[in-house]
Amino acid sequence: MKYTKKLAAALAMSVSFASMAAADGHATLEGKTVGVAVVGTQHFWDREAFNGAVSTVEELGGTVVPVDGGRDNQVHADNHDILLNQGVDAVISILGDGAVEPKFEALKAAGIPVFTVDHQSPHAVNNTTSDNYYMGTTIGRYMADAIGGEGKVAVFNAFEGALRICGIRAGLWKYVLEDYPGIEIIQPELAEEFANAPEDARQKALDLLTQYPEGTLDAIHVGCWDQPAIGIVQALEEAGRTDVLVTALDGGPDTLEIMAEDGSPFVANVAQQPNLIGSTAAQNVAAHFAGETLLPQTFVDVFPVNGQAEAKAAYEALGYGTLD
Amino acid sequence: MTQSLTIRRILDALPITVFVLLFLYLSLNSANFLSFPTLELILKQAVPTVLVSLGLATVIVAGGDDVVSGGIDLSIPATAIICAAIVADQVTNHQSPLIWGLVLAFGAAGIIGAVNAGLVVWVRMTPLLATLATSVAIVGVTKVITESRRIGVTDPTIVFIRDGSIAGIAAGVVLTTIVALAYWHLVHRTKWGMNLQATGGSRDAAEISGIPTNRFVVQSFLLAAFAGWIACSFVLARGSGSSPGSEENLLLEMVLATFLGAAFSPRRVVTVWGAVLGAVLVSALSVGFISIGVNVFWTGCIKGVLILLVVASAAAGREQ
Repeated sequence: MKYTKKLAAALAMSVSFASMAAADGHATLEGKTVGVAVVGTQHFWDREAFNGAVSTVEELGGTVVPVDGGRDNQVHADNHDILLNQGVDAVISILGDGAVEPKFEALKAAGIPVFTVDHQSPHAVNNTTSDNYYMGTTIGRYMADAIGGEGKVAVFNAFEGALRICGIRAGLWKYVLEDYPGIEIIQPELAEEFANAPEDARQKALDLLTQYPEGTLDAIHVGCWDQPAIGIVQALEEAGRTDVLVTALDGGPDTLEIMAEDGSPFVANVAQQPNLIGSTAAQNVAAHFAGETLLPQTFVDVFPVNGQAEAKAAYEALGYGTLD
Repeated sequence: MTQSLTIRRILDALPITVFVLLFLYLSLNSANFLSFPTLELILKQAVPTVLVSLGLATVIVAGGDDVVSGGIDLSIPATAIICAAIVADQVTNHQSPLIWGLVLAFGAAGIIGAVNAGLVVWVRMTPLLATLATSVAIVGVTKVITESRRIGVTDPTIVFIRDGSIAGIAAGVVLTTIVALAYWHLVHRTKWGMNLQATGGSRDAAEISGIPTNRFVVQSFLLAAFAGWIACSFVLARGSGSSPGSEENLLLEMVLATFLGAAFSPRRVVTVWGAVLGAVLVSALSVGFISIGVNVFWTGCIKGVLILLVVASAAAGREQ
């Protein structure tokens, strides 16, 4: 109950803060065309961030040119060329790996400001993102507590070197674990696929469970998001293993539902607000055109979710419905 | 008789009519759709698909255009991606010169082409299954090389292919045009190409005429792998490095482009130019839909229906 109240208050604060710019009257995108490029729309987080950006640009009077990379980073990068050719007034770019950097540079050179979501870039005016530092340290603490401060942990960590947000999240998770000498991270780390993460992680987790029989593995952590965790939980059920715990980041409705099940091995997560993140990026575009100087990054609040009860509360507070 | 001729004429004209109407609609609704920068952009974005489609067209010409029992090579995009991974790994992770990475990648492509040819000609597997299996294996090896991680590339030659221009036209487009001309010349303008077409047209007739058909099928798979190898530099340029997971989209576009191209040929057969045209049209559709602001959740569906309409009308026309 206490957690629910705290969560509701924090949510109300972050939403009202994000809508302040719109409420003060001068933030408008009237007459502006804004390209919104998203790496894919299959995954809840990406789709929600995209929807948040698109609806807010339209609410502020702007016209949207939407593009979807179909979860292919090269297609996502190419889509920025189309926005450049269209001569849009600004671009909101959601996720993407290093392939987009030359595209951002070209947009900037053409005088088109770029606003990124979850992608730090020297060519962007501003990056709107979650508090990744808090995410990384919190999930580190929660996971360490869940396994009693010692044991063997496997990590899915494909994007630590490719995406700065993942570098922060996985890096700080490891930083926390430095204070737990009894915890060993299994080497080599695992690398999940981007486009087909749940099934790919399921296969890899099954292999891992064969390699590490009962009693030799304590947790599997996903370093930057939570889609692979869906497959990991499936693998644990298939293998009949109850000795391995799962932790991850993002806290979308699908994984909160898994956490809320009785006896779920998925014990800790940190929930983000992707719709608000996309919406805030659109607010920042309006603020930029209104002449405001933006900080390089805008951080949107996240909500740690520790255990079944908090998963149910977060699910409700984030507006995904109710879980019995 | 007259009625069937009329139906056939309508079906013949349908693919071109659909695309002409579509492009008219796009140009009326998007101010700059019919402009040089947009045309250049469409061509630039079509480059990797054009290159892998050249390989597929060659295999189909040699093996016949029956999708199940004829010639097909589904491993060309995976070949392009593994070659890109090898080059990126060498250049970025091992600080090797680009040429060394390309030499290693060439060797890998040669092995892939030879394995495909061996499976089809000597083991007598259907090309569809053989190349699907090799494609899965190649993607697996690519993951081992890259550890499923992105490898960025900043080599000046790759950057030139991405950003450079030759005679005022994007370098990637010019270089791809040269490669396409070479494939067209080889397949449609040489004696070797005539024998290749004869092999695909009717294997029995070709053998009776003394054409060593197996040799031509083997050579077509080697040329397909070669197209994958060439495409790797352009894939690297497109993504400023090797990003995992790009082979699936490329595979889909390659098959679509090659068979879409056949719908525009007078005899409804796969040709090198047809494949190039198909790749450019697929790219034009993507650029066009974005230009008029089509909802992203509908783009794939509309694109799929349009292509289905064109290919189905071509198939019906052939039946008639």
